[in-house]
This record gives sequence, C-alpha cells and structure tokens, in this order.
Amino acid sequence: MGKDASAVKVDVRNLTKCFGDLRVLDNLSFQIQKGEFVCVVGPTGCGKTTFLNCLTRIYEPTEGNLYIDGEPTDPKKHSLARVFQEPSAIPWLSVRDNLEFGLKIKRYPTAEIQKRVEMIIELMGLKDMQKKYPKELSVSALQRVIIGRAFAMQPDLLLMDEPYGQMDIKMRFYLEDEVLRLWRELQSTVVFITHNIEEAVYLAERVLILTNKPASIKEEVYIDLPHPRDVTQHRFIEYRNYITDKIKWWE
Amino acid sequence: MYNSYLSKSKGYKICMILLSVLSVGLLIGSYVWVSGRNAVLLPSVGQIWARCVKLFVNPIKGVNLLAHVWASLRRVLLALLFSWTAGVVFGILIGWSKTLNAIFGSIFELFRPIPPIAWIPIVIMWFGIGEFPKILIVIIGSIVPVVVNTRAGVSLVEQQYVDVGTVFGADNRQMLSNIIMPVALPSIFAGLRTSVSSGWTVVLAAEMLGADHGVGALVTRGWNASDMALVLVSIIVIAIIGALLSVGLSLAEKVVCPWNQ
Amino acid sequence: MESVNQKKKCMEVKGLSKTFFGKKEYVTVVDEVDFTVYEGEFLVILGPGRCGKTVLLNMIAGLETKTDGQILYNGKEVQGRNPDLAMVFQSLALLPFNTVMENTELPLKLRGISKKERRETAQRYIDLVGLTGFEKSYPSQLSGGMKQRAGIARAYTANPKILLMDEPFGQLDAQTRYAMQNEILKIWEKEKRTVIFVTNNIEEACYLGDRIILMSECPETVKQIYDLSDIPRPRDMVSDVFLTRRKMISDTMELSL
Repeated sequence: MGKDASAVKVDVRNLTKCFGDLRVLDNLSFQIQKGEFVCVVGPTGCGKTTFLNCLTRIYEPTEGNLYIDGEPTDPKKHSLARVFQEPSAIPWLSVRDNLEFGLKIKRYPTAEIQKRVEMIIELMGLKDMQKKYPKELSVSALQRVIIGRAFAMQPDLLLMDEPYGQMDIKMRFYLEDEVLRLWRELQSTVVFITHNIEEAVYLAERVLILTNKPASIKEEVYIDLPHPRDVTQHRFIEYRNYITDKIKWWE
Repeated sequence: MYNSYLSKSKGYKICMILLSVLSVGLLIGSYVWVSGRNAVLLPSVGQIWARCVKLFVNPIKGVNLLAHVWASLRRVLLALLFSWTAGVVFGILIGWSKTLNAIFGSIFELFRPIPPIAWIPIVIMWFGIGEFPKILIVIIGSIVPVVVNTRAGVSLVEQQYVDVGTVFGADNRQMLSNIIMPVALPSIFAGLRTSVSSGWTVVLAAEMLGADHGVGALVTRGWNASDMALVLVSIIVIAIIGALLSVGLSLAEKVVCPWNQ
Repeated sequence: MESVNQKKKCMEVKGLSKTFFGKKEYVTVVDEVDFTVYEGEFLVILGPGRCGKTVLLNMIAGLETKTDGQILYNGKEVQGRNPDLAMVFQSLALLPFNTVMENTELPLKLRGISKKERRETAQRYIDLVGLTGFEKSYPSQLSGGMKQRAGIARAYTANPKILLMDEPFGQLDAQTRYAMQNEILKIWEKEKRTVIFVTNNIEEACYLGDRIILMSECPETVKQIYDLSDIPRPRDMVSDVFLTRRKMISDTMELSL
C-alpha cells in the first residue's frame, strides 16, 4: 500500500470545547497516520457534531489544538473535506461538473482536474451518469457523487459523517467496498464517523470509541483483520461485540 | 450552528434592542434639531405638545382628542367584528371545497385587486356620509387579507394531517374542527394581523373625506386650517394606536397558538 | 412453538394493484400483490427504494383508492377505511398544536368518548411507550425517538386489531433505532396485536418479523416470502442463524444503485 507508518498526518492534542458552562469535548488527544482509515463510534448525543466542527475549524476549540503535518490547522493552507449524512450536490451542475467543482475552486490546472475526475469516474463506475443532474439521481447515487467529489480533492483529511446512515445493508456493503477501494487507490487519510458498529469494524484499521458527554476517548481498538472482511466470521463478531459492550448506550 | 449559538446569547439580544432604541432616538433627536426653524411647516416638539393639550381645553366639534380616537377605533372594531367572522367563514368554505372555490373564488379574485379607497365614491353616493358607509369601507378594506390567508391556510394543510384524521375515523365536521382549523390557525392569524393594520389605514382615509369626528377628520381639519401642529398630533396618535393594536394581536396569538413558539 | 400455519387468517390481499397517471403515461406502482396476514403475527413488508410500499400500505389503510384487487378482512371485502386498523406514519404526523396527551387521545376523541375515559386509556399507552412526564409537551419539544413513541401510543390508543407501521424508524439514527425496535417488540409481546411493518432495512426486518414479504421494485410485486418464526426471540443480531438469514434475504433483494 506504500504507506509510511511513521508519518503522523493529523495530531490532535488536548482538544477541549465548552459552550458556556457546558463541557462537550474533554481533553481529546490522538494521532492519525498518513493514509490511515479511522472510524469513530460513540453513544448518541456524545458531542460527535461538535467534535467534527472542531476538526474542520467551524468551531474554535476552547483549549488544545489540531496539527496537520506538524503545523496548526489552517483552512486556507490545509484541505479538509467533509461528507455529510445528507448529500448536498450543486443542483445546477451535472455530475461531472459537480466532481470538478471543488478542484476548479482550488484553481488546479485543467489537465490535472481532468485526470483526477476521469480516475474517480473510472473507479466508481459513474460513466453512465456523468451528464445527469443531481435531481435525476437517487439518494444513494447522489451520495456516491459527493463522496467521489471529496476524494477527488485528495484532501489532507477526509471526514465522513455517517454517510451511509439511512442506507440498507445491501447498499451499505456495496458502498463500503467502494469507499475502501477509493481509499486504497488514492491513499487518503479518512476519519469516518458512524453509529453502526458493524460498519466500523468492516471498514476501519482502527476504531476510536468516545465516551458519553463530555466526550473523551475511552479506548482505541486496532482491527487486525485482512480485507475483504467477512461479517459472519468469528473474529469479526468478537470485535463487534467487544466495541458494542464498550459503548453500552442502553444502560 | 455558530451563528444560532451567538444569537441566543443574552448580550447579543440586549445589543439588538439597544440598536433599535438608538435609531428611534436619533430620529426624534434630529427632528428636535431641525424643527421650530419654520414653525408653519415644521412645528417644534413644544408646539406639538401645546396643540395636544389645547385639544382637551378647546375641543374640536365638541369632543376632545380621546373621543376622536374612540370614534375612529369604534368604526374599525365594528368593521373588524364583521370582516373577521365573515372573512374566516368565507375563507374556510372556498379553501375547503373546490366547488365553492370555483364558483366564489373567481369573483373574489376579481374584486381583490381594487384598492378599498376606490370604493369611497360609490359607497358615499349609495349610502351618504353617515356612520354605516364609513364602516362598510373599512370592512371592504379589511376583509381581503382575512379571506386570502384563511383560504391559503386551509387549502395548504399537509396531506399527512388529513391522513391522520382519515385513519382514525374523523367525519367532515371533526376533520374541520380537530385538524384543518388548528393547522390553519397561524395562517389565519397572519390574515387578522394584516386586516387590523389595513382597517386602521382605511378608516383614516374614509374619515379624511368627510366626517365630524375621528382622527382622520382632525388631519383634514389641520390641513384646511394650515394647522401643522394638529396634523402632527394626529399622525403621532395614529402611529401609537396602530402599534398598540398590532402588539395586542401578537399577544393574543401567543395565547391562542402556544405551540407556535 | 406455534406454527404460523395453525394461526387464523385475519386479512387477505388479493391481486391488489395501483396505477397512477403520470406526466405522460400510466405508471403501475403496485402490481397484483397477494399475501395473507395471520392473527397476532409480526409481518414485515420489505422492499428497496421508496417506490410502492407506502402506496400499498395506504391502500390497506383506505387512504388511497385501489385500481384493482381485493382486501378481505375476516373474510369480508373492505372498501375504504377499515375501522379496525390504526397506523403509525413515516412522517410522524403528530398534530403540532396538540400536546402529547391530546395527540394520543385523538382517536378516542373522534369517537366521542368521554374525556375521563379517553385520558385513562391514553395515559396507559403513554406510560407503556415510556413518555410518562411528557404528556403536556408539544411535538416540537420532543426528540425524534420520543415523537415516534408518541405516534405509536396514538395508534395503540385507537385499540386496533391490526397496526400498520410505515417505515417508522427511517429518520432515526442507528442507536435510537435499535432502542425503538426493542421497544416495539416489547409492546407487541405485551399487547398481542397483529402488526404489519413496512421497512427497507433488511436487518430491521430480520430482527422484528415473524414473516417477511420481500417486494421487488417498481412496479411492486411479491418476490419471496420468508418464515423467520423459527429464530427465537429476543433475537441476537450477531448470531449465526441471524446473519445467515440476513445474507440470504440480502442476496435475493435487488440492489438499486
């Protein structure tokens, strides 16, 4: 995979966020290697959105900071891409124009834009729909376009906020395989937030488990299974049960 | 997210209130500053106040300022009583039934764009210049927004709420009283609020064209006598009463539709 | 363990079809659907996309006219609304101007039942779904899961023989969804009423259903019927038998990209 295991891409140190007296994030510290795929799971309402908003610098952290390649994060210098649960494509642009959009904003040379977009279309099999408009697509197809657009940016850090939350298992497995394919080909660094523990174990190299509010990191679990993973395999289920036990949201 | 968090903070709210107080203060201040230089066209605050006091000492047409205000208010309230009842009923009928809308909705659409003041000559020629024609003109002016908003509120009730009624077995009357009406209520209230302000505007216009008593009559009297202070007293009274009416209605809405906050 | 076949039929759907006139031509959304509902069972209608499942359920509820076919209830044909049915809506459809209590008692209010009596019944179901203490709250003050609980309480208050549920948990996040699935099973086991539950989620279908009717997409027809009553409850989502069944159904279901 050509991954340099020693290179720390993202370094989060003592991240804390308070709104008035309400402490939502409590002293989170972790590192993400270059090209790593990390899943974040946690109980409902544990401050997941605040966590993401701090990572993407929509919120200023109250304390602590976030470093990319050793430098404090700066939205002007670093590219941070984010995929939301609800797909948001630009309605008046075709699928291909949507894929090109972010790259054009960043003023990449035309040849580079074409090369990257071609590659995404190839990898995701979007050839037949590249001239269509978002309105003509199903929700799942739209979400694929958005994910393709995010990967085309080849961002320093790609944040995915439960992108397959509303999708069925069959669709999810297909899209999860696709996201793994993109990640491997483009060697992106991905933080993937999900409520679905099966999904987390299926995708991640490492799973970060958050505690209830105020959120801190309860545990990191390395998923030591080769891809493609089999959800019915004994060790897979062991991981799944272990992480489920750690969250214990229903007690 | 960030902005909504900010806008909820106390300091932000106080800041916004201070800003509006400041802008009204500035307006009054600049009036004080420029007024009195030409007392005929722009009387000073002191002169306006003196004219106001004189209205009680030296009543016009035998009644003081408060009685003039009451004469106008009474016309508006009587007219609103009618146009609210009739307007809501008519609005529900044409919003609820497609047939009735086809028959009466089209006639209503034809009359809707006519400004109420344009009816004044016809009404005066038919009914003279007594109390009834004035009230009639206010009715014409205030009923339109009531009908328009009621019809929209009733006909735009979402299918899901109607489905709830159907599944649980509501008959037509229950559907109307338990589901359609309450869903439409905020929209109906918007119509009532507009009707109050348009009714208040129209009564002044009607009074200006021929009345002994009423704030509109005071404006005309001041105009004819080149008594600019009297005109300004009337205008200030009009503004205050109009604002009070709209605040009162907003309060009523909060009581009647508590789920809307 | 009771076998489904020994149970009493309570509803039969025969050749049910629905055709709409679209922009230019007729579009058939539901095409000759046949199935039987047995008394007391938890029946899941599973299908991809959002094509015809709601239309199918709306025809059963009498909210939508049928183009063709029959719905037999206890052997008799039903036209329009069936008073023995109640529905939990996908869109929740709680009346925004009514409190939880007023929403829950609505079905009884519409039947003209006295205030005291309907309050008692409504309170019983509010307690059952775990909304005690929120009787006076308006829907806008509740979380997604709590709104859905209120919708369920309202449907039970109507005292239906058959409860229809149209993708009730589609808007909830995964964890609230699991919690609500357990909740609905708990109530179902206590109340022993027939449930027809529509979903597009295979895992949810396998977790809840005694039987699953798998539909094909657009126009909707019955593709396969699965009997899961041999999987003991409470079901374990990571057990071998559960995962095998889930995979079997998943392999049959169409993938609509």
